[in-house]
Amino acid sequence: MAFDPQREDYQRLGLRFARSLSHKDAAQATREFTTFGRRFAQDRDSLPQSDSDRAFHLVVLASKRIDYELPFVDEQRARQIIEDGHRILDEAISLDPYCYDAIRMKSAATNPSFDAFLTFLNERSDEVRDHCEEQRKAIPADEPSERAHLMADIAMRPYLRWVATQAEEALICGRNREALRLAYKALELDPSDMADVRFTAALAYAKLEDESGLQELIALRKMAKRARPSDDAWTLLALMALAFKRHDMEGAGAYLDAILESYPHAAEALIRQNELPEGVFARLAVAPYSEDEIILALSEATVLLQEGIDLQGRGVLSTWLMQEAARKRPQAMLSVLAQQANESQSGR
Amino acid sequence: MDARKEQVRRLALKRRRKLGSLSDEAFEELELAVREDPQRFVDDEEEQAFSLVVQALDRYELSRRDDDLLDDEQFAQKREQRNAALVAACNQALATYDGCVDALTLRLLALDLSQAELFDQLLEVHESLLTNNGSIQIPAAGDAWADVFVRPRLRLQAAVARTGINTSRFRMACDLCTDLLTRAPLDALGARFTCALAMARLEDEKGFDWLDSREGRHGNAWFHLSRAILMYKLGRVPAARRALRGFDQLCTGGAYLLLQPMYVDTYLPDRPAFEPGSFQESMLCIHEADPIIADIPDFAAWTCNQQGFLASAQDFCARNGFEWRNWDE
Repeated sequence: MAFDPQREDYQRLGLRFARSLSHKDAAQATREFTTFGRRFAQDRDSLPQSDSDRAFHLVVLASKRIDYELPFVDEQRARQIIEDGHRILDEAISLDPYCYDAIRMKSAATNPSFDAFLTFLNERSDEVRDHCEEQRKAIPADEPSERAHLMADIAMRPYLRWVATQAEEALICGRNREALRLAYKALELDPSDMADVRFTAALAYAKLEDESGLQELIALRKMAKRARPSDDAWTLLALMALAFKRHDMEGAGAYLDAILESYPHAAEALIRQNELPEGVFARLAVAPYSEDEIILALSEATVLLQEGIDLQGRGVLSTWLMQEAARKRPQAMLSVLAQQANESQSGR
Repeated sequence: MDARKEQVRRLALKRRRKLGSLSDEAFEELELAVREDPQRFVDDEEEQAFSLVVQALDRYELSRRDDDLLDDEQFAQKREQRNAALVAACNQALATYDGCVDALTLRLLALDLSQAELFDQLLEVHESLLTNNGSIQIPAAGDAWADVFVRPRLRLQAAVARTGINTSRFRMACDLCTDLLTRAPLDALGARFTCALAMARLEDEKGFDWLDSREGRHGNAWFHLSRAILMYKLGRVPAARRALRGFDQLCTGGAYLLLQPMYVDTYLPDRPAFEPGSFQESMLCIHEADPIIADIPDFAAWTCNQQGFLASAQDFCARNGFEWRNWDE
């Protein structure tokens, strides 16, 4: 599901616009609402909005630049983007000092270590919760229930993202029980798991070599309505790691097959195992079962892949995975090698 | 491993079995005679193979004497040679008697395989012994280590567990160690140290606490460091800080080694002996903990921010004439 910042921006302004039309008669309101899409895209300032809406829009701009552009540019452009990102986030915070998305994103970039970032998130978590709950309680009682529901949902999202980021940072810091505690906190807050925090939890269970914990998580998902089945890359990588760790090499190979089946274009990604920077707004929104998704999952699974002593310094599971993927998909290996040869020739 | 001593014991016991009952005094006499000239008492293939291993280990130790004088390249070359010699001797021992467990273990360890491959192969030997010879029996005396003929299998199992740490199989390492502790509760091999590290990595507080109380909470480098790591991972900062202080103050050079790890060569076949509280102990502990410390990216930086820790490390470095390396440079 993931958080799509642009969609959320659209929803925020849409809700506010709808509310501004509520005193008009139904026909007129409907007529006016048909202009919303065009105005949102082309004439945003003509729409009613609060400072916190404006701040959120800046968050969207910053996220677009940092999360979706930055990974694909050269160093010089990167510096420019980072500078822009900071400026935009500062502006967001000055418009709305309670713009916790901006505060969190800014801190992600300025804290000197994972540990320091996690401490920062932990220390301010309650404050974020209180503020979001206040926003939620301030929703007018006369809103139609569907709209009120979405408004409540959106009000709590900055907190949900905060807790999901806490869980992810805890995982990176090697505090796996803490990561699980936070993941379940987020799941309790939002059983539909918009933050996909269960992916983080699956990796943490694998780190703790807790088979039954992971199976419980999978069972929990089966009970959730409209839930995506647990054949996502994170769960499969976690199961694969667990099999590897109990030295069930056949089992690990079977999970690798399952990954290759769920993700038809996975082989090259499995061989390359690129590490991406984490999304600062939230985990990047990518299409389920796409190549992007497997790349993202592998990058997050670095905590599992790169563990152990290995001659190449890649990590024990990483090397095994690369070798097995190459063995099962020799064409993909050849293509990766060709690309790497190209890259080194062009001096990249 | 005190191979010579074990050999004498093995040969004396076998000879006694042949002679029938001996008084304690007579057995002592016999042991003295064996010590004088063990080779004279070797009269089966199993002991012939063991004897080859003992001699190979002697040569191996002898060749390490002047390592300190070598530069890196010379050292690498010499190391390769002596490991190859050890492998050759093990092959010879196995050709004499294919059930020589120490030769099987040493051969794999000296082959310089990747840790992943080493784990696969050690585990295979361990499991085939379980299948063919059954599990290690706990004797009436209560500790399998007391039986000198069982020791090779205990050593092998401890080596599998340590390799488990290096290949991210922490639950298996724990299980292998707790099994060793059941069969050989006096734990001459120090499997509990490996176990402490694995439990810290798995954030298994209950398990660690059981292990620590079993140890009488005396602690040593592994226990102090494992506790510091465990508490750090669980976010219990004051407790982590106390454990870290213990590690710094009770383990010679502990702080220094944590920040400036030193090269430790492959254990052949088991953890070298060390004086409690010695620099050697700290060095071995940090060496074994390396994959677990690497898994907590900010741990080393955190220790530097704890009062006195960095100063203690640098002070130790200066007092002992070591060179402080800056990693960022």
